[in-house]
This record gives sequence, structure tokens and C-alpha cells, in this order.
Amino acid sequence: MRWTIRIRVFYQAFFLVALLWLLARLASGDARDLPFSAFHHGDPLSAIGVTLGSGTLPGALVWAAVLIALTLLVGRAFCGWVCPLGTLQQLSSWLFSPRTRRESLQVNRYRRWYAIKYYVLAGLLVGALAGTLQTGLLDPLSLTARGLASGLWPVLPGGRPAPGGWLAALLLLAILVASRWIPRVFCRGFCPLGALLGVFGRFAVFRIHRTGDACTSCKLCAFACQGADEPLGSHRVGECMVCLNCLPGCPEEAMTYRALPPLPVSPDRPDLSRRYLFGTVLGSLAVAPLLRATGGGREAARPRLLRPPGSLGEAEFLQRCVKCSLCQQACPTSAIHSAIGQAGVEGFWTPVVVPRRGWCEFACTRCGEVCPTGAIGRLTPARKTGYDGRPPVSIGTAFVDRGRCLPWAMGTPCIVCEEMCPTDPKAIWFENADEAGRDGAARKLQRPRVDAAKCVGCGICENKCPVGEEAAIRVTSVGETRDPLNRLLAGGLQQ
Amino acid sequence: MSDPSALMVTRREALLRLTSTAVAAAAVGTGIAVFHDRRTVSASAATIPDWRVPLPGAGSAAAARGGEPTANVRRAVAAMGGMDRFIRKGDTVLVKPNVGWDRLPEQAANTDPQVVAEIVRLCRAAGARRVVVTDISCNDPRRCFARSGIEAAATAAGAEVIEARRLRLLAAALPGLSAGLEVIEELLRADRVINVPVVKHHSLSHVTLGMKNWLGVLGKGRNRLHQDINRALAELGATFRPTLTVVDATRVLAANGPVGGSLADVLPVGAVLAATDPVLADAWGASLLGHKPADLGFIAEAERRGVGRADVRLVKELGMA
Repeated sequence: MRWTIRIRVFYQAFFLVALLWLLARLASGDARDLPFSAFHHGDPLSAIGVTLGSGTLPGALVWAAVLIALTLLVGRAFCGWVCPLGTLQQLSSWLFSPRTRRESLQVNRYRRWYAIKYYVLAGLLVGALAGTLQTGLLDPLSLTARGLASGLWPVLPGGRPAPGGWLAALLLLAILVASRWIPRVFCRGFCPLGALLGVFGRFAVFRIHRTGDACTSCKLCAFACQGADEPLGSHRVGECMVCLNCLPGCPEEAMTYRALPPLPVSPDRPDLSRRYLFGTVLGSLAVAPLLRATGGGREAARPRLLRPPGSLGEAEFLQRCVKCSLCQQACPTSAIHSAIGQAGVEGFWTPVVVPRRGWCEFACTRCGEVCPTGAIGRLTPARKTGYDGRPPVSIGTAFVDRGRCLPWAMGTPCIVCEEMCPTDPKAIWFENADEAGRDGAARKLQRPRVDAAKCVGCGICENKCPVGEEAAIRVTSVGETRDPLNRLLAGGLQQ
Repeated sequence: MSDPSALMVTRREALLRLTSTAVAAAAVGTGIAVFHDRRTVSASAATIPDWRVPLPGAGSAAAARGGEPTANVRRAVAAMGGMDRFIRKGDTVLVKPNVGWDRLPEQAANTDPQVVAEIVRLCRAAGARRVVVTDISCNDPRRCFARSGIEAAATAAGAEVIEARRLRLLAAALPGLSAGLEVIEELLRADRVINVPVVKHHSLSHVTLGMKNWLGVLGKGRNRLHQDINRALAELGATFRPTLTVVDATRVLAANGPVGGSLADVLPVGAVLAATDPVLADAWGASLLGHKPADLGFIAEAERRGVGRADVRLVKELGMA
């Protein structure tokens, strides 16, 4: 292995381990202020998508400019040196390397369909402009973090089940398995972030250069080429992931990677058909309204759509959420899960609170602290709990199901919901009742009632309710602070 | 990655890669299979040991007031004859404070960390080999142990703090309402057990104290016990017989219990009681909140079952420091 390759492998290993380590620290509740969302802050796809969708660039996403600048200097090195999904795919294709030289050249040849990623990119960005941010579905950083958070962590020792997590894990797994036949199939064919970096990478200062005199056209340079960018022919700079495998590959040492003057003619555009591109743009423009009208989007009443505390209103939330699952990984009680149907088609894989799985811990503000795009706002514990004197942040309201509740329906004492209630004073209080039992004997009962003005919808009552599968007290989203139209009480809570 | 001008991946190389990956995957898989959900499936339910130490002629409770929490603990335990009478050299002691809630010490929802730490220190000084501090919290256990201050204080005092995520639960022979529930394995392994409740208001049992504190060693399903709380607590009191009950009344949560929150509900009582009689301990704690112990169903029921005496005149009041 040549030293350039060694350094690259070191970088790849470092960033993969860094991502895994950060996710592990997040899951274990590390209280330190580690850079949990660093990968996502430097993600230009999120930055541009969120900016197009919401009209603002949330603070930390300006780091994405660094990656764009870097790409203008050295090309798509992010893909070959940093991206954890790229590294995982490369690992998978290395494990199942082709057996013959012919096969190896075959799988690393450029295919016209590798241009699909540019259509994906165009579709996602136009969709964002039209008001629905879906970059997170295929953003490699979101995709990897989500697959690991929903698919890997739940099976680790002490892991907590994530129903629906297999969907996210399956996408990640499918990509890794497919890399066995086509190395880096996702990077080459589908990755919107790779496409975006390719757009800038075409103008890179540092590029692969072939000295024509020395070249004997032996094709050994294309042998392990990760980007399938054909360093032998007219090199596709926008596809090159700067893996540098071609340098030691060349027996004549005709290949170099160095600063080169700008190309005399404008660099090759990706193989895009104008017609297809036009169709993609038109199609994406139609998707946002379609999703909302027929996919059960943000206008529909969604009682069980509980968003993490501090979340923006649904419209703004969907313009910012990149579906990275960091909030899910950070939640100490496993209350946050990736939505499958709760948030409509548009909100697929966005975070929802599922009280039966976990409750929103009263003074915990972890999810907002790790959200890379500010879809979940940062709260202080004092602000969230209302200890600063203003009304607390509510994510919904609890309702007693009198047909299932032990004191209401069965004449049996139970106070668990009230006992658990964290607000001050408790949102759950008791109506004292004298009730004749079946035998005619009088009994005193404490029947739980909910004070909607005090309830913050944290869901610990629903979570701890001893009434089996379906709790006798359940939280719905009405009364949530983030939506002034989803109020329960006249006057309501002022944020 | 290998030199491309050399031979292609040979059969040997491919086998090597695949085998090493398979071995690694198998190792990880086995590890997961072994460690995932480490509950032991035991055929027979374990019996709950009796951790009491017979002390003929000794008083059954002593209360100290006025000093620092640590001084109160020392005086009360000393009045009971000192920790040496209860702990033998080499014992494993389990200390069970109330670490139920994600609250700060000032909010008085959990046992005071200084009280817990001082008990740990006394046990270590008496020669205990291992002191375990644990509880199955109601809120997120990591936050409860961290924010209550108990994790830091008890660890510094030489205890092994185990929060709920790392506990194993075992089926145990529990009576009546709690039949079928699981119990913390560490509890069954301990030679001595010290129950360290905090005095708090509770909407159903009026006060929550030592006997209610046993809910914290029980696993899933414990929330059903509220359906007949007086009987359930008396049964727990008759089942779990601690070496010592140390009641923390440093701060007393007088309303909105057992979670509390507002500092306005917290009374600065500044007292600690050590008792060998768990019913007397609860009776004393209840009296601090203005209850007549005999009026409280779970205390009356426990006394009726012969678990202990509820006559607070039996408490040796040591007075102010």
C-alpha cells in the first residue's frame, strides 16, 4: 500500500469511528457538550435544502461552506475520505472483491445511469423550494445515523426496541449489500450529497493528471477506481472521489494528483438530458402540494403526532427536519421514534414522541441540543419546565379514558398517573367520590382528572399507567405550545 | 487497495477476508446473544432473606435533630449501638435510598445525598467489603442518579452505585398483591440491607416512607400495587425485613408529593431517624407531617400483622445537636 492510500484509509477509519463513538456517547447519555451534530453541521445538502425550504440558514449549518470551499480546492475528497457511508460501502466491496482483473475493470467503469444522482439532487432541492424538505431521506449522513440509531442500537445490549427501525436499517443494509456487485453504488448512482459536491468538485484546483507520453493505456489505473471516473480517458473530475487508487496503480507512474490550471474548456457537464431534468423539476414542483393534499400532510388532524419539546410549528418543522435521528438517539427514555405514518407521507422518518414507549422527561432538553438544523429548538430546563415564570413548554394534553381507568370504570383505587405527574402543582388531581360497589357497600374513590392548563403532555402518566397495552390516560397533541391553532383552552397558554 | 499490478484477489485471500469477517461477525453476534437482556430465567422464585440482626434489649429507634445531615446520621446510628453492631467485616451491604425522581436535592423528592453518603461511610468503616447503592427510578435513572447528587456522593463515600439499566431482576417469592413481580438480584445477594426513605407527602397513602420505598426494588407491574396500597405496603413490610431503616427528614416534602418540584412545599425539618423497627420508623416519619400513625391504613395494617410497633413514644429522641 502506498503512503497516500494509507493516509486515506486512516482518515476513513477515523471518521467512521468518530461517528460511531459520538452515536454511542449520545445513546449512553453523556452529559458533556460533545460535537454530536458536527457531521450534520458540515453538510451542504442540509444547508442548501433547509435554506431553500425555510428561507433561513440555521446558525451552525454555515460550516457547510467549509466543505464547499474544500471541495473547490481538492475535489470530492469528502466522499472518498470522510463520508461514513462511503467507507462502509468501500469496506463491503473490498470484502467481496471481484475475482478477475476483467471483472474489476468492468465494475469500475462509468455507466450513464450514474447521472441519476443529479436528478435526485435536483428533485430534492426543487422539492425543498416548493416547500417539502426530503433531503434527509437520502442524505448519506442522515441515512447512516438513522440506520444505526434505529437498526443497530436497539439490538445492542441494553438497547431499547425501535418499532419501524428495521425500515431505516434495511435501506442501509441494502446499500451495503448492493456494493458487493457495484462498488459504492449509492455514491456513484444515487447520493444527492455526492452530486452536490460533484457540481463544485468539477472546478477543483487539485485534480488527477495523466501524463500522456508515459501512459501505455494499460487501464490499471481504473482498476480500483472508487468514483468510476475513468482516469484513463477524459477524466470525469466531478465523479472523482480522490481515493488516489490510480496513483500506485500506474506502472509507468504517469498519474499525479496536483494543483492544475483551470481546464481550457469548460469542464464536462454530467451526462444529463435536459428533457429529463426539466421533467424532474416539474415533477418535484408537483410533489409538495400532492403530498399535502393526498398524503395526509400537515393540514390533517393528527392527534398522535406529538413532536419533541421545543419543536417548531409543523410547517416550519418539516422545512427543517433532515431526519437524522440524533434526537431519537439522544432521548434518555426512548420516547422519540421515527414516524412511519404518524406525520403523513411528508413526515416519514421525522421524530415523534410515543408515550407508551417512553415519556418526555420533565427537565430534559437533550433532543433540542443535538438537533443540527433547529427543527427542535434549544430550550433551557427552566424555560421548558416553566420555572422561569412563563408557562411551561407543552407537547400535548393528557385525557383520561373513563371506560378503562381503574377508579372510573372498575371502582378500584389507583393513583399512578397523579403520582408520576411532574408539574407543580400536578396537572392531575382527584375528584373524591363515594360509590356503591357491586355488593352495595360504599367505597371512597379518588378519580383522576386532568387540569388542561397545567398539563404539558409529557406522557409519563400514559407510560406508567398500569392498564395493560392501551393506557387509560393518553396524550394527544392538542394544547401543544408550538401550534397556536391547536389550542384547547380559550386564551390558552401563552408561549 | 493492494497493488493492482500484482495478482488479483486469490482464492486464499478471498477466503481469508470472508473468514475473518465471519469470525468477527460471529463474535459480535455471540456477544449480543449472551449479553442482550441479561435476565436469568430461573425455575424457582428466590426467597427474600431476613436481614435483621437480633439485638436483645436494644431500643428500636433513635432520632437526631438539628445538626448537619451527616452528624444526624452518625448520632442516630450511634444511639442504636453503632454500625459495628449491624455490619460484620466482609459483608455486602445494600443501601436502598429513594432515587425515584429527576429532581435536585433541594426539591426533597429523593433521599438527601449526604445522608446516603454518611451511611455508606459508616458501613465501610464497620468493615463492609462492598456497599451497593441502588434503586429502580421512576424517571430516567441516569438523570435521577446524577441530579439527586446521590451517584456522586455515594461513589465518593466508597459505594458501588448501580442504576436501573445495569440491574438484573429475578423472580422472587413475594406474597399477596406483589406475587409474580421481580426483585433486584443484588438485594437477594446482600448480607445486610439498609432502607433509607425520605419523608414525603403521597396522595394515596398520605405519606411515603420506608415500606413504600420497597416499591423501588420491584420490577414491572409494581404500579398495580396502588389498587390496595395499605395491604400492599403491609405485605412488603412483612416481606422485606431490613437490618436498619434510616429515615431522612432533612427536608420534608409536605405537598404535591411524591414528585414535588416547588421549593414552597419543602419543610426544613433537619432530622434523621435510625430504627430496627420499620413500622416505628414510618410512624415517626408520618408524625412529622402531622399524621396520627394509627390513622394511616398501611401503618395500622402493618402493626396488625405484627411487623412492628407504631407508638412514636418508643423513639429515643436525642434532641438538638
